[in-house]
Amino acid sequence: MKLYEYQAKEVFKESGIPIPKSILIHQEDELAQAIEQIGLPLVIKSQVLTGGRGKAGLISFVKTKEDAIFHVHRLFNHEIKIKSLLIEQAVHIKAEIYVSITVDPYMATGLLLASKEGGIDIEILAATQPEKIVREPIDLRYGLMPYQAQSVAYELGLSPEQTKEATKLLLKLYDVFKKYDCELVEINPLFITEENTLVAGDGKLMIDDNSLFRQTRFEQTKEDYKTEAEYDAVQEGIPFIQFDGDIGLMCAGAGLTTTVYDLINYEGGKVANYLEFGGPNYKKAVKAMEICLKVPSKVILIVTFGTIARADVMAEGIVDAIKRLKPDRPIVTCIRGTNEAEAVRILKEAGLEPLFDTEEAVKKAVALSKGV
Amino acid sequence: MSIFIDQHTKVLVQGITGSEGSFWTKHMIELGTKVVCGVTPGKEGQFVEGKPVYNTVKKAVLLHDIDASMLFVPPKLTKDAVMETLNSGIKKIVTISDGIPLHDMVLIRQAAKEHGALVVGGNTSGVISPKVAMMGSFPHWIERVYKKGNIGVMTRSGSLTNEVTAMIVEAGYGVSTLIGVGGDPVPGTRFAEMLPYYEADSETNAVVIIGELGGTMEEEVAEAIKNKTFTKPLVAFLGGRTAPKGQRMGHAGAIISGGKGSVEDKIKALTEVGALVAERPRMVGKLLVELKVPKSI
Repeated sequence: MKLYEYQAKEVFKESGIPIPKSILIHQEDELAQAIEQIGLPLVIKSQVLTGGRGKAGLISFVKTKEDAIFHVHRLFNHEIKIKSLLIEQAVHIKAEIYVSITVDPYMATGLLLASKEGGIDIEILAATQPEKIVREPIDLRYGLMPYQAQSVAYELGLSPEQTKEATKLLLKLYDVFKKYDCELVEINPLFITEENTLVAGDGKLMIDDNSLFRQTRFEQTKEDYKTEAEYDAVQEGIPFIQFDGDIGLMCAGAGLTTTVYDLINYEGGKVANYLEFGGPNYKKAVKAMEICLKVPSKVILIVTFGTIARADVMAEGIVDAIKRLKPDRPIVTCIRGTNEAEAVRILKEAGLEPLFDTEEAVKKAVALSKGV
Repeated sequence: MSIFIDQHTKVLVQGITGSEGSFWTKHMIELGTKVVCGVTPGKEGQFVEGKPVYNTVKKAVLLHDIDASMLFVPPKLTKDAVMETLNSGIKKIVTISDGIPLHDMVLIRQAAKEHGALVVGGNTSGVISPKVAMMGSFPHWIERVYKKGNIGVMTRSGSLTNEVTAMIVEAGYGVSTLIGVGGDPVPGTRFAEMLPYYEADSETNAVVIIGELGGTMEEEVAEAIKNKTFTKPLVAFLGGRTAPKGQRMGHAGAIISGGKGSVEDKIKALTEVGALVAERPRMVGKLLVELKVPKSI
């Protein structure tokens, strides 16, 4: 789960990582008071979960009250839904650096990444100039040691005073990483001020989804999802992504669903939604189809090859779903795996024409989506 | 011969009294797996499929010779269970549960390395040598998938493995040992770490890996071929070629990060060292034929 910037900064602040003075507003009339408290100039930052906010025009630096009113109005009326804006003090900065902590799967360690090139896209830097990134593995049994944090600061070429500050900050950042079961915690940019203090310019915190049972502080609400279908899927624990194509997928298994997605693209079709109803969800055919039907599409393609997710149970669920929901679009089925003979009988009895070959099913769905 | 598990491997089942544990224990035994006993805290004195159940792994190893342990343990409790198993001296562990916390998996892999042990999983169906033995949850009775043969298979997926393996069988081959390393970002054991076993296995003529976008496991396989620690023919199928960039789709491990993990990179790394990459599941079988891999040993 990805947190909003303001949530990440809330966590930083509690952990002793300095952040600029800021106020979160939810409507335009809260701006005046915010300006009073923060002062000018200030930065207006849209609280959305997508990256590249600067380029998308979702962050505005303003010097006057009039400008602030203009941009706050603009952002609250933006075509993408923006629930809140972070009104943040503009910091006088001398330099910007990058720091993050993530996991190294191969070494089975935490991994502290830092660079003097703050504010950049770290993925691009890693690909083009990997030598500009300082890497320090962290043994999760002992945590980040002070000497390690210090050596990273030295490697960044910071001054003695800055090094002291950076060491403290990195140790606190590790505390956040550990405490919140982070997949990633990142400060990009981390400001170095004229006074040689460090201030988190941005905050990115991703909590490992598998740890949410023990990370219950932050919850996402209906408004955090782009569509009703997405929200419904999350409530049911059904992996789902909506696209703008015309073939709805209702498949089992992450790898197989991804492969069907590829095959549709190879055949010139376009996927309307990705949905997995395998694994623990294989008895949820009705709910899965209900979600698929909320997405505009011309055909629903069901491909499974289940083990524990028994084919006959899935077939029964699908027939039940068709009876209850009376779908307004054709359904192509390709259901294999445990008890598949029984599954075929059930589907045929319900008037469907089950297929056995994934590629054949994909071709049929693509043809139907094109009105052939 | 097969790798990781055969009919002589003495297997402990942790979580044996649960619904999944007891269901799959029955099937493991049916296939020929030598299950010797089980562990479920609080259930000592019970029997499952005629096998005694103990409260602790410590007691199980005291009373039985055990080579490997199969865990049917919920994700929240997996770290604890794996540590108990490692500390009891068991060197082969399969843990299938989906949803093990990331930081727990880091610690599990670290501990396994220290103990010189192999932990396969989580988020996997496990390990199977068709017609011989299995540790995990495979529908071994589906003949068009689980046919015995000379192709080693390693995979990050479940259903997709059935799909691809069916194509291997359709082309006239069968499987020596199939190892599901699992779909999590930090698997206990990685593809390349199992390659030396396949290399040494006289009953494996070629290896198929079923990978996908995200991580660097496929690149590590390419590295092993390059430095000649693995010399047998290798065919890969990789899911997620057309997956939207920057979005997590499918397994938790299937995301591009740190500039690494795109399918293009993986194809490049693998083809550069002479491995073949199938664009579609069906091509896997055809490529094995193209490489002139014999249909039996």
